[in-house]
Amino acid sequence: MPAFIGHSWQDDDLSLASSYSIPKPPHPPTTMVAAKKTKKTHESINNRLALVMKSGKYTLGYKTVLKSLRNSKGKLIIIANNCPPLRKSEIEYYAMLCKVGVHHYNGNNVDLGTACGKYFRVCCLSIIEPGDSDIIKSMPGDH
Amino acid sequence: MVKFLKPNKAVIVLQGRYAGRKAVIVKSFDEGTRDRPYGHCLVAGIKKYPSKVIRKDSAKKTAKKSRVKCFVKLVNYQHLMPTRYTLDVDLKDAVAVDALQTKDKKVAACKATKERFEERFKTGKNRWFFTKLRF
Repeated sequence: MPAFIGHSWQDDDLSLASSYSIPKPPHPPTTMVAAKKTKKTHESINNRLALVMKSGKYTLGYKTVLKSLRNSKGKLIIIANNCPPLRKSEIEYYAMLCKVGVHHYNGNNVDLGTACGKYFRVCCLSIIEPGDSDIIKSMPGDH
Repeated sequence: MVKFLKPNKAVIVLQGRYAGRKAVIVKSFDEGTRDRPYGHCLVAGIKKYPSKVIRKDSAKKTAKKSRVKCFVKLVNYQHLMPTRYTLDVDLKDAVAVDALQTKDKKVAACKATKERFEERFKTGKNRWFFTKLRF
């Protein structure tokens, strides 16, 4: 019988199969104590982002984020929490192919725009050169 | 920070007549060329997927059902969705950029990729690539 009858495609050998997993649903809401702790780390992300805006290179917006991933210039991707799930999965998939970290920002696109010092909404951004900031060393692989 | 749009990467074409078809990158032009000043690549893809073959099909029917119709195209990176799959079929000698200049060169390139795809399909490897994407 020819080899292609009656099998599924799961037995192909895949290069990155082990590292990619389907994103888990969000955790149950944090308690009061944990909320305080996330507030502190949240501020530190904001500080680091501000430093990147001042001294580093970045791009804002979905189209340029995908461009930066395609030509492998992006070093860290930050996605707002109200990003549409299909777009979020697409960016995460590209980042998985690139082996680039994705950070899910604790705030929506309005907050992320404010954190970048801009007067518009930013749903996703890509950091190309961190400049003086240590954002890439301190929060990679957040997923 | 790893480049992934390299030859032998399986991609899905997102726009145009071949939207939804799976293809494999033959040659990539990251910087673009004079005519196309954007990142693009030469892909060879499947125009018509092979049909499902069942156990009780005769040999003649199996041969007819496992035919693959191919296309060769230059596509902008923006109109491709890369996947984690690869297809290591040697298409560099079959498909070159100058194959797209004249009609008969294109037909010859498509015929050559058709042979390679069909023999790969018959071995039963890369089954994902030869199944139609359902959407």
